[in-house]
Amino acid sequence: MSNSTTQTKAEPSDQPQQQQKPQVLEEDDEFEDFPVEDWPQEEAEQAAGSAANGGNEHLWEESWDDDDAAEDFSKQLKEELKKVEAAH
Amino acid sequence: MSTLAGEFKSAYSAGSGDALAAVFTPIGTQNKPYRLQSFYDFTNAASLQKDLSFALFHGKSLKVPRAEQTAWVDIFAAYWEAVGELLKYEQDWPGASLVAIFTAWKKVANALIRGYSSSAGIPAWTLPCLYTVGKYLRTFAINADIKAAPQGASSFGFQDDVAADIEKNAHLEEAARIINRMFTLCLSDRAPMEESRKWGIYQTTNLIFKTYFRINSVGLTKNLLRAINAQSADLPPLEAFPKSHIVTFEYYVGVIHFLDENYAEAEKHLATAWSMCHRGASKNRELILTYLIPCHLVTTHTLPSDQLLAPFPRLEKLFRPLSNCIRKGDLVGFDKAMSAGEEEFVKRRIYLPLERGRDIALRNLFRKVFIVGGFEEAKEGQTSLRRTRVPVVEFAAALRIGTHATGRTRIDMDEVECLLSNLIYKGLMKGYIARERGIVVLSKNNSAFPGTGV
Repeated sequence: MSNSTTQTKAEPSDQPQQQQKPQVLEEDDEFEDFPVEDWPQEEAEQAAGSAANGGNEHLWEESWDDDDAAEDFSKQLKEELKKVEAAH
Repeated sequence: MSTLAGEFKSAYSAGSGDALAAVFTPIGTQNKPYRLQSFYDFTNAASLQKDLSFALFHGKSLKVPRAEQTAWVDIFAAYWEAVGELLKYEQDWPGASLVAIFTAWKKVANALIRGYSSSAGIPAWTLPCLYTVGKYLRTFAINADIKAAPQGASSFGFQDDVAADIEKNAHLEEAARIINRMFTLCLSDRAPMEESRKWGIYQTTNLIFKTYFRINSVGLTKNLLRAINAQSADLPPLEAFPKSHIVTFEYYVGVIHFLDENYAEAEKHLATAWSMCHRGASKNRELILTYLIPCHLVTTHTLPSDQLLAPFPRLEKLFRPLSNCIRKGDLVGFDKAMSAGEEEFVKRRIYLPLERGRDIALRNLFRKVFIVGGFEEAKEGQTSLRRTRVPVVEFAAALRIGTHATGRTRIDMDEVECLLSNLIYKGLMKGYIARERGIVVLSKNNSAFPGTGV
């Protein structure tokens, strides 16, 4: 997520590229055809068995953090509080 | 020809739709790089029909009704013409062009559609031919459009000019109309289910979805979904279809809802696509997650785990910094991550839902204030309760931390109250602001920040 990547990609660049290479058939963000038509559930992302009770719980995490740094935050908060109170 | 005719005969007698579709795949294969050339060289325009019917149906090996034989000969004749255009283009003949390839391939598609819809009655098990021919119709149309586009005109990348847009996609629009006929061909078949073309409904729908997405006509997909819904009583259940059909279908339906900002519905379809997707299809898994992750953020306020992102460096780069800032309540970091990823987010059309993550980040920041506020003294016989009356200035101080405010930056109390009431309005906080006392009175019983355990 550095700034350099943003800069190099700043221009809308897809189209000229496509014009140079008409043999490129698929756009890079297009859903691909699967090499086989069907597959058993064992080969699927969520294998049979774990499907029943949300087997991908570990894939999603809560958005907040009850971290150990609460003390730090507390200290920081007190400092900032002084500044706010001083300003008002 | 002997190769292609042989492929056709063995595929047909084996009743293998996939093998039959491979015959109509207009590329050389690894072990038969010259299959198209030898097919083209085997006859000439004058004796095309005669040679084809002899090569395909002479002898007793294959029992195919006369009308169907004629249909296949027509299809192969069109195929032969198209292969001719392809070879001419490959070999740089004068007059060869990508547009000519598309025009010739259109005839293959039309002959095939005729073969299914007419009394010739090509059986439904051969439907993979329709998918293959449709797929290449779309591909050749895209190539023809790229070729036909005036050089330089589109290199600016701005697509506001609607007229130019239509012009630019003229061949693909035409392909969409033909693929639409393939869709109708499947949906309207009244044959008994086991031999019905209805089994092709999702795969042909997927092909039109891809096409409409490409020509920026996502709105048109609604008509298809409506048509499918109207027929749903006559369709086999989704689970009865091959997974490749369903995963692709659910992905696109999910993205369609996503673009409508209907994130709950989108999440449902994308989650189905995700859970059924083949583990080896990493590009598709990545695409599903690209939309599923913002859905989760909006609907359940959950973030992708390290484990989920690990196999996908691109997603890691897209979502990891953002997720970390949300979790920490780091508003400045969040804004930075949003602007660093802006181009990619806009391109993927996920900017809007991700932006909502800022509220979650703010909620987490204010939640920390509540946590460090500690507990009131417990009354007799009761468990101790968290301090639910929190001075507004404490939130203001937290905001200084979250926005990395420097010494002189003033935080406006009105602004803090505005942010607080916004979170309360959105249900991320529960309580009210007692302005005259300068405090926020938060809900008791572990519901001050609903869903977060406190």
